[in-house]
Amino acid sequence: MVKFQRHILPNGLRVLVHRDETTPLAAVNILYDVGARDEHSERTGFAHLFEHLMFEGSANVPRFDYELQHAGGENNAFTTNDITNYYLSLPAQNLETAFWLESDRMMALAFSPEKLLTQQNVVTEEYRQSYLNQPYGDAWLLMRPLAYDVHPYRWATIGKDISHIRDATLQDVKDFFHTYYHPANAILTVSGNVEASRVFELAEKWFGDIHPGPVNSRKLPPEPRQSKEKRLSAKRDVPQHQIYMAFHMCARNHPDFHAADLISDVLANGESSRLTARLLHDQKVFSEINAYITGNLDPGLLVIAGKPHPETDPEKAEDMLWKEAYDLVVNPLTERELQKVKNRVEASQTYSESNVMAKAMNLAYYELQGDADLYNQQIENYQRVKAEDIQRVAAEIFRRDNLSVLHYGNTDTVK
Amino acid sequence: MPDRTQPPGKELIAGIPYIKPLGAKLGNGLPVYFLEGGTEEFVKIDLVFFAGSYFQYKPLVSFATTRLLRSGTNTKSRLEISELLDYYSAHLQLDAQKDIVSVSMYVLNKHLEPTLALLAEIFQDPVFPEDEMRTFLKNQQKIHIINQKKVEHLARTYFAELVYGEQHPYGYRLKPENFDMVERDDLLAFHRRWFTAANAFCIVSGRMPEKMEKMIAGHLGSLVAQPDEAAKPPRFQMLTSGSRKVKLEMPEALQSAIRIGKQLFNRTHPAFHRFKIANALLGGYFGSRLMQNIRQEKGYTYGITSNIISLVRSGYFFIATQVGADVSEAAREEIYRELKNLREKPATADEMESLKNYLAGSFLRSFDGPFAQAERFKELLVFGLDHSHYDEYLQTLKTITPELIMATAADYLNEDGMMEVVAGR
Repeated sequence: MVKFQRHILPNGLRVLVHRDETTPLAAVNILYDVGARDEHSERTGFAHLFEHLMFEGSANVPRFDYELQHAGGENNAFTTNDITNYYLSLPAQNLETAFWLESDRMMALAFSPEKLLTQQNVVTEEYRQSYLNQPYGDAWLLMRPLAYDVHPYRWATIGKDISHIRDATLQDVKDFFHTYYHPANAILTVSGNVEASRVFELAEKWFGDIHPGPVNSRKLPPEPRQSKEKRLSAKRDVPQHQIYMAFHMCARNHPDFHAADLISDVLANGESSRLTARLLHDQKVFSEINAYITGNLDPGLLVIAGKPHPETDPEKAEDMLWKEAYDLVVNPLTERELQKVKNRVEASQTYSESNVMAKAMNLAYYELQGDADLYNQQIENYQRVKAEDIQRVAAEIFRRDNLSVLHYGNTDTVK
Repeated sequence: MPDRTQPPGKELIAGIPYIKPLGAKLGNGLPVYFLEGGTEEFVKIDLVFFAGSYFQYKPLVSFATTRLLRSGTNTKSRLEISELLDYYSAHLQLDAQKDIVSVSMYVLNKHLEPTLALLAEIFQDPVFPEDEMRTFLKNQQKIHIINQKKVEHLARTYFAELVYGEQHPYGYRLKPENFDMVERDDLLAFHRRWFTAANAFCIVSGRMPEKMEKMIAGHLGSLVAQPDEAAKPPRFQMLTSGSRKVKLEMPEALQSAIRIGKQLFNRTHPAFHRFKIANALLGGYFGSRLMQNIRQEKGYTYGITSNIISLVRSGYFFIATQVGADVSEAAREEIYRELKNLREKPATADEMESLKNYLAGSFLRSFDGPFAQAERFKELLVFGLDHSHYDEYLQTLKTITPELIMATAADYLNEDGMMEVVAGR
């Protein structure tokens, strides 16, 4: 249970505070309601590139990292398809430094062509390091446009292509900043050894005079219901074949979300999970196997992925994955198996509540979804799922015409 | 309106709020330490055995023994063990390193009793079924082969071989055929010899339920105290001299992985603290010279880092990065330039203040909460140190000067003996 207090500034900035007196630290999280899904299809990767520029200085703070380090702090950020999230932690007595830094870059980011060019180079190297110069690194660059026809989830946060990053202009940067980086489009959370009243005072002082812009009321094209199975093969210089199967599923705020999440756990979370126990250990068809949900705010994907041993024909291996998934449609889970995956949810949420940074992040993320208290209802929401819900949701997800398959292998396995 | 041109006032860190470990010794000789704290009803159990790859006669034996502990006992199959661990959502990690085997388990207090019983059983009574072992090794072999396609992995493993030599377990580079050479008897013997109470310690951290001590004694007190026959650990020759370079040509690579460094010392060495601080200035944090130069000014890389790694019988320093293949040579030159600067160019007042404050904050963060404190305490026990070691670090941090950093770099980071691997182009 993460208790919190909320205060909304006149300019729309939502401020939430959780007090934890057992730590000497304070964690500060700022979530901006903008992600890769808000990008233009010919300017992809921009939200993430922009995140890099947020560390390149603002009107009164030429060196963001340097100033934070001076206060004993450390920070980072990430961009997803849905959001851009900045987080830092520092000794609680230096909390005000965080407000000075975060408010200055929200108010007046410094723009320059040189900084843009350098970060374009850095992000290009990130693109190469994480996606192009890794075995299987580009699989998701292929998988997204296969699974999605129209929704912007069809591109990855890094972008469709390096050329998009290269082509970004300073004007793009300015426009993006003015559209999305303002108090009404942000959520600020603080957790740690802090007084709520003090945090609200600091928020008024440092963020109070920043002008709000329009709330991001996005109108994204919904992904139409898929009507037939989609298949793709990719030939690459990799030692082993890998199969990716992606099924459309509901959005995070849908009542069936928790059942779908538990389905992925039943399949491949833990050594006793079905795919791991049966196809990796017993039948020894796969050397690695995995299942997970993308967990997006808009309707996302449930993914099953595995690397079959070369003795097994990839098509046959795919069929075995399908059969295990389909078994969840046909046969109900036992109470024990259902309880097992629910226990995991309870434990992992409890473990994460021992971390001030995780608490600040979660409060912001659930506040974005409507109410930070949704976070505290999670365990209960999972506990409510019944065996028949699992079967019903599995039947909705595991349909052949809801499936996109990628076969990723070398010249021996991909014809 | 606030004055935005001036940073708000800052206070320095006064000290670290250590949680005092309460020690006990079980009947079988296993030392156990309790670190109480935290807000949620769960604990972490750390078990450390001095049974890393240093103690093995054959590659992979420590790794396979460790990872296969949970693959079956006389009364439970692999699947039964896994089902119980998953059901109780015990987050169990079995990690075989160079010197130690590190076991850690998070578990909710309400599931503690049955989980501890299971943990004790897999340590006391593993049978290492032949079939489970073969499956595990075959799957690990596949992962190994995929890793050979990663420039970062190649640079890392070839670098260790350069620094310690191909005969020494600190330097040994695994080959695919090693995975076919492990026998079940190797694991049984290795387990019998090294996974004993006399060769281990335990740390329990978190918000403890009542009778925690009794529960631990009841379960972990039954671990075998001593091996019947105490075979000696193998002896290895460590390479100590020379300066060697390796270039691994990969014509298709988009990036090159670069690793430069040398054999040094571990955290028990008198110069360790000042070296650690000098290293931070060079490449130990985002504000470091290497990061600022090679990423933030030149844009050659997504990241670059340097560090000193402590092993029980040695230690080494390294710089690692992945850069665009077209700037591979330019990046190498910049790295050597920064090494030279560290020896010759005193840190500015700005650099010093930023470095000291950042390191103090980062040090405080590394002690945040009982689980982090358990981690830091474990490090002390492995090296036979106590908390005064950390006080000395803070003291060094307070008093270190630009001159001392330069002198440290001159003592330990000259180019003699520097090893270098470039994997890529």
